[in-house]
Parts: sequence; structure tokens; C-alpha cells
Amino acid sequence: MTTTAPVRPAPTDTAPLRRRGLRFEGRLLTPGVLLLAPLSLLPFGFIVVMSLSRVHLLGGVRFDFAGLTNWVRVFSDPDVGMAWLRSLAYFVLTVGLEMLLGVVFALCLWRVLRGRNTALSLLLLPMFVAPVFVGLLGRFLTDSTFGLYAWVLRHLGIETDMLGSQGTAFAAVVLMDVWEWTPLITMIALAGLSSVPLAIREAAALDGTSGWQLLRYVVLPSISSVLLVALLIRSMDAIRYFDIIWVTTNGGPADATKIVPVRLYEVAFRFFDLGYAAAIGLLMLLVSIVVARAFVRLLGRRGPAR
Amino acid sequence: MSLPPPASGVSRRRFLGGALGGAAAVAAAGALGGCAAPGGGVTRHADAGPWRQYAGSTLNFISENTAPTAAIAANVTPFTELTGINLNIVTLELSALVQKVALDLASGHSTYQAIYADPYQVLAPYSKGLVDLRELMADQALPQVPLGVGDFIPTHLEAAGKFVSPDTIFALPYDCPTLIWQYRRDLFEKYRDRMAHDLGFDPMPGDASTWDQYYAIARWFNDNARDDVPYGTGHQAKQHDSLMNDFSNVLWAYGGDYFDNGRQVGGLGTVDPGPCRLDSPAAIEAANFYSKLLSIAHPGSLTWDWDGLGNAFAAGQVAMCPNWHEYAASNESKLPGKVDYAPLPRGPVRSGNMYGGTGLGISASTTGDERRAAWLFAVWATSPEIELANLKSTAGGGTPTRTSVYQLPEVVAAEHRPSPMPNILTAPAVAKAWQPENIGLRPKIPMWNECDTAIFTQLSRMLVGDSRPDDAMRATTDQINRIVSRGWVASS
Repeated sequence: MTTTAPVRPAPTDTAPLRRRGLRFEGRLLTPGVLLLAPLSLLPFGFIVVMSLSRVHLLGGVRFDFAGLTNWVRVFSDPDVGMAWLRSLAYFVLTVGLEMLLGVVFALCLWRVLRGRNTALSLLLLPMFVAPVFVGLLGRFLTDSTFGLYAWVLRHLGIETDMLGSQGTAFAAVVLMDVWEWTPLITMIALAGLSSVPLAIREAAALDGTSGWQLLRYVVLPSISSVLLVALLIRSMDAIRYFDIIWVTTNGGPADATKIVPVRLYEVAFRFFDLGYAAAIGLLMLLVSIVVARAFVRLLGRRGPAR
Repeated sequence: MSLPPPASGVSRRRFLGGALGGAAAVAAAGALGGCAAPGGGVTRHADAGPWRQYAGSTLNFISENTAPTAAIAANVTPFTELTGINLNIVTLELSALVQKVALDLASGHSTYQAIYADPYQVLAPYSKGLVDLRELMADQALPQVPLGVGDFIPTHLEAAGKFVSPDTIFALPYDCPTLIWQYRRDLFEKYRDRMAHDLGFDPMPGDASTWDQYYAIARWFNDNARDDVPYGTGHQAKQHDSLMNDFSNVLWAYGGDYFDNGRQVGGLGTVDPGPCRLDSPAAIEAANFYSKLLSIAHPGSLTWDWDGLGNAFAAGQVAMCPNWHEYAASNESKLPGKVDYAPLPRGPVRSGNMYGGTGLGISASTTGDERRAAWLFAVWATSPEIELANLKSTAGGGTPTRTSVYQLPEVVAAEHRPSPMPNILTAPAVAKAWQPENIGLRPKIPMWNECDTAIFTQLSRMLVGDSRPDDAMRATTDQINRIVSRGWVASS
């Protein structure tokens, strides 16, 4: 009886890949990339082309090359410019307040020994509400006909409608966002605080540090990387914030709450000026990437979470 | 030691690769299947008679969440029994509806065969995506419009059904909300003599009432009747389409308009309306008055659209307001017997009452059988019988778009309390509002959505004190001229 050694499949199908440099990791990534291509890369390419075109809808979508017309409009449209300024103010206020309050709440909860889980559960509740419902809730609470907050203000002698003037409307939508997303920062910060080594805290206590010094020189540096991740997550959300404003103020009064995503929505889905909307959207994407890269670079400089 | 090769000779790696490829193929096939034309569900039975020839088919109707659709959605059984067609109704807020319709028309498939074709946001920009209904009217195998299209109120047919050409018909008039003066009759009667004494005129709303008198009455309520009602007047002045509607009544009353030849631009519509005329002295005077009026209105006015205003009025927050007449049913349920209606006040030139009616159209992306089946629905939904049934509906129901329905004895009788059809209590007021000299028709142009946004944004700036009325009107004029000169590309 003769036996033949099993013939190994000829390496014809894999060798060229290796030669071209697609290694094991690359091949593992291939299915994901193939899946992502139709979902992300092709639409991205489409949007780039759109931003250079006039887009016709009826009778099938059709692009007419328009050169840089839409991009020139993006940088010369005063409405879009004002929307960017409002977005910046909105970004700084929401993310700043959420980070501040989130860390304060986390520090308070960290100190609580009994009932911490109950308190945390209650604190986290707003985070589980869909933003559109937060907007509706805010609108109902501030409605001058039947809103609870409006009723309280009326009894305090304040007859104004919170969503009716520019300053209060802007403050109201900022506070609604802060109400919803501060718990996320609290949760992330609390997770970071739980990992601060007890030994370091005890050593600091033996050295006679005050509570403020402990916070300033031990606790906050220990959780700074975690806080940066929280900042990154919230920043990405704040840039594309839309739901609450759309439901409560529709961008008004007098455009006071019309930030870039609201303007983008209007251009794309009210005016169906899709070429121009694509240019605004791409600029938003670019800003998001720049902000994200800045935070990631900062994170990289500080090293991995300690 | 190495594992023997699988009996089949297929390596594990190759097997996994094949499984992955197979899964991808199945997913792709599923996705492509999902993209298949959705109109494949309409089948014709030629021998089944005009109404039953599409029995067993399914139609999709997309509509704004308005009163007549609420009434039809509450009872679609008569249509299914008559035709054997299953009807799916999707109701959305107007801006969401416009998006869905635009994207559906762009796709070239007709997910929605029957379309609530708002004349300003759907018909004018996407008329090329709608069927000219004359081709279906000429089809002898299909049921004809009962009493002919001549039974529709002529202004409704023109404004809601046609675009540019007087011959084409893209939609059958389906609903007809119109802004009229809604007021608390109980409060007006209670204070009538005092107001007449203080103000020097009879305050009861009537054909000769003016906007100046309206302002004086509102102010009087603010100063003298706080125990009964917090404010004299309320408005739908949120930065929203509603603000343009509310302001337009005053604009027309003062003799202003958005473009030259406003009656033509608002009636049949046009693709080239010419230069904007909001910077005319009459328009600026109207803006001055509107700004003054809003300064004494309920402060919530700046946050209310028509729904917010309707709720506030029904909750007793204001003594009077301009609002769509279809809120009468809601008023009657919350303030039974206490509310009455009149055409909006006159300005120096006329009374202007914003018409907000809509037609029922059919997507041009439909196949022949789909559009014929959709025609059955359009004819049925706008028939006198269904318009009467809508009036009686406990779901609210709109008011008729047909002359013959208003002439029915039971409808005439229902114009007075106690009325089984509360919306028809407004009939005398809306009949006057629809007269050619009183009706208000906003421009029916393809780029209206963007112009509308420019108008209500500048008005909102004016109302919060960011700009003076004349500056607001001039800024709006500039913006509209830019928008119009850019043209409408989406459906060209």
C-alpha cells in the first residue's frame, strides 16, 4: 500500500496578497472594510461629489457639476457663519457645564458610602431618555399655558416665556442638554475615581495634605485620562446636537438657537439644496475630526489611563 | 500530529470563507429585495367593475396629521369594503411629510401612491412628480369624480389642485383650513357695553371690524379683564411657518403682498414670481402694525405655532386669536358654546384670510395600475359622502371642499348650536373668508420653503427687537430676491 502525503493547497490564492503587503491583520480587517465600504465610504464619496454639484431630485437623482460654488457659499453665507458662532458658544457651555457638574456629582457620590447605588441610579435616569423626549419634556415644562416652570415663574412675578426671548431660549436648550448628559460624565468620572489607588490616598493623608490638595494633586491627575475620554465623547455629541433644539424652538426666536446642525437640516430637508447641504455637512465633519484629533493627541501625550 | 483533511476535501479556512461569502450574498440579496419596486402589490381584475377592479391590492397614503386624515384613518373600512383595497395611512407633521414625499419622488419608486400634496411645499416644488389627473378623469373604466370637478369650490381647485397652467389638475381639493378670527363670545358679551363705552365702537367682531379695533379690544382685555382672561390676544408667532401665516393676514389687509400680481402668484402659481415687494410702504406699514400688535399679545405667542395657540385659546389664556378654522371642534369640546367666529379684521385695503388648503395627488412614479388604484382612493376620499362623514367624525374631521356639501340641509342646520358637526360652526365665517376679495393666498412658487424660512426668521428678529419693521422687510426682500434668482434646482 502506498500512501501519498496530503497535498497542501497551492499557495496561489494567498501569496499575491502577502506580496502586496496585506498581512494577517489586514486580512482580518477585510470583511469589516468590505462591510463598511457600502455603508460609509461610498456615501462619503457621494457627499464629496454632491458638494461640488447642483443636485436634481425628480426623475432620479442627478448631479450637475457646479465647481466650488457650494464651498464658496459656505464660507460667505452670513447665516452659516452666525450658526458656527452659536455652535461654539453652545459647545463651550454644554460641554463645560457637563464636565464641571459631572465631576462634582461623581466626587459627591464617591464620598457616599450608603445608598450610593440608589443615588447613582436616580442620577442616571435622564441619560436613558431619548433626546427628542427631553426636548418635548422641556417644551411642556416651559409652556406658558400649562408648563410647571412657567407656572412657578408666573407666581414669582415673571411673566416672560422662557423660549420666547433669545437669551432665555438659548439658556433653556443648553440646560436641557446639561440635564440629560451630565449623568454620563458622572458615571465615567466615578468609574475613574474608583480606580484611584487607596495606598496613594493614604500616603497623601499621612503627608498631611488638605482635601483640596488631595483633589488637585492626586485625584484629578489620576482620573484625567478618563475625563479626557468623557470630554471626547460629549464633544462629538455636542457638535452634532439637533433633536432638542428642533423640538423646542425650531432654531428661534430670531435664530438665537440655530446652530450648525439645525441649519444643515434646514438646507438639506426643507430647501432640498443638497449640494450646499453636503458642503456644510463636510465642514462639520472636518471640524469634528479636528476636535477629536486634538483630544486624542492630548490623551496620547498623557499616556494610557493610570 | 496533524488533523486529517475534512472528508469533503474542504479546508476549515475555506469553509469559513465560503460561509462568510454565502452570508454576504444572502444579505446582499435581501438588501436588493428590499429595494425592489414596492408597487408590485397592485393587480387588476378587469371584469370586477370600476370600484372592485383592484380588490386585494394595497395602497399607501401619506398625509399631514390633519383633521380629514384623522377622520379617514379612524374609519377606513368603508373604502376597503367598497374597493377591496387595503389602505395604509402614514400621517406625519408637515415638514416630515414634505421630506418623505420629496425623497420618495426622487427614488423613482412609489412607496406612497396617494400623496397629501400641500400646494406650497409639495405641489409647487414637485409638480413634475405628480400625475396630471385629467388622464384618469378621461379613463372610462374608472369611476368619475362625483358631480364633476366643478363641485369643488373654485378657489380651492385653483389653489390646491393646479400649478401654472389653468388646464392641468394635479390634486383634488382635500382640506381647506383657513385663518379666521376666533373669539370668546361669552367674554365679549359680558364686557360688550363697557368696551363700547370705553372704546367708542361696538366690539363684537363683524365684517366691518378693523385691525385697529382688534388691537384696541386686545388692549382693553389686558387692562380690564385679567380676572377672566390673562391676555386679550394670542398669536402663532413662533419662528415657524405659522408666523408667516399670521403676519400675512395683516400684510394683505394693509394692501401689501409678497410679489406683484399676488392673486395670480398665489392662485395658479408661477416658477418666476419677479421681484419681491415686501419693501413697499404698505408692507412696511403692515409690519409696523404687526410688531405693535404682538407687543401686547400673550408673551407665549412667540413660542406658539397653531397647535400651541389652539391649546392656549382653549385653556382660556387669551380672549381672541387668528387661527385655523378646523380648531372649532377642539374649541367646542373644551369651551362648549363659548366661542364664535368671524372673518379676520379689515385693514386699510381689505380683509385677508390665509387659506391653507391642500389637495390629494398621485405620484407620477406609480405604474399604470397603481395610479388607477390610487385614483379610486382620491375620488372616494374627496366625494361628498366622505366629506360629510368627515364632518360628523368624532375624530375631528375637516370641513368640505365641495359646494354641494355645504348646501345639504343637515349641514346648513349644523351651522347653529347645538351642532353635531362642530367644525361647521365656522361655515358662515369661512364662506366670507373664501370670497375672492377676502381670501389670502401665499405665493405658490417652487422655492417657497426657503422664502418662507427667510420671512419667518426676519419677522422673528423683528418681534424680539433685533430689527426695526422696515429693516426686517427690506432684509426679507433682499433674501427672497436672492433665493428666487438662484432658482429651484431640485426638480428641474
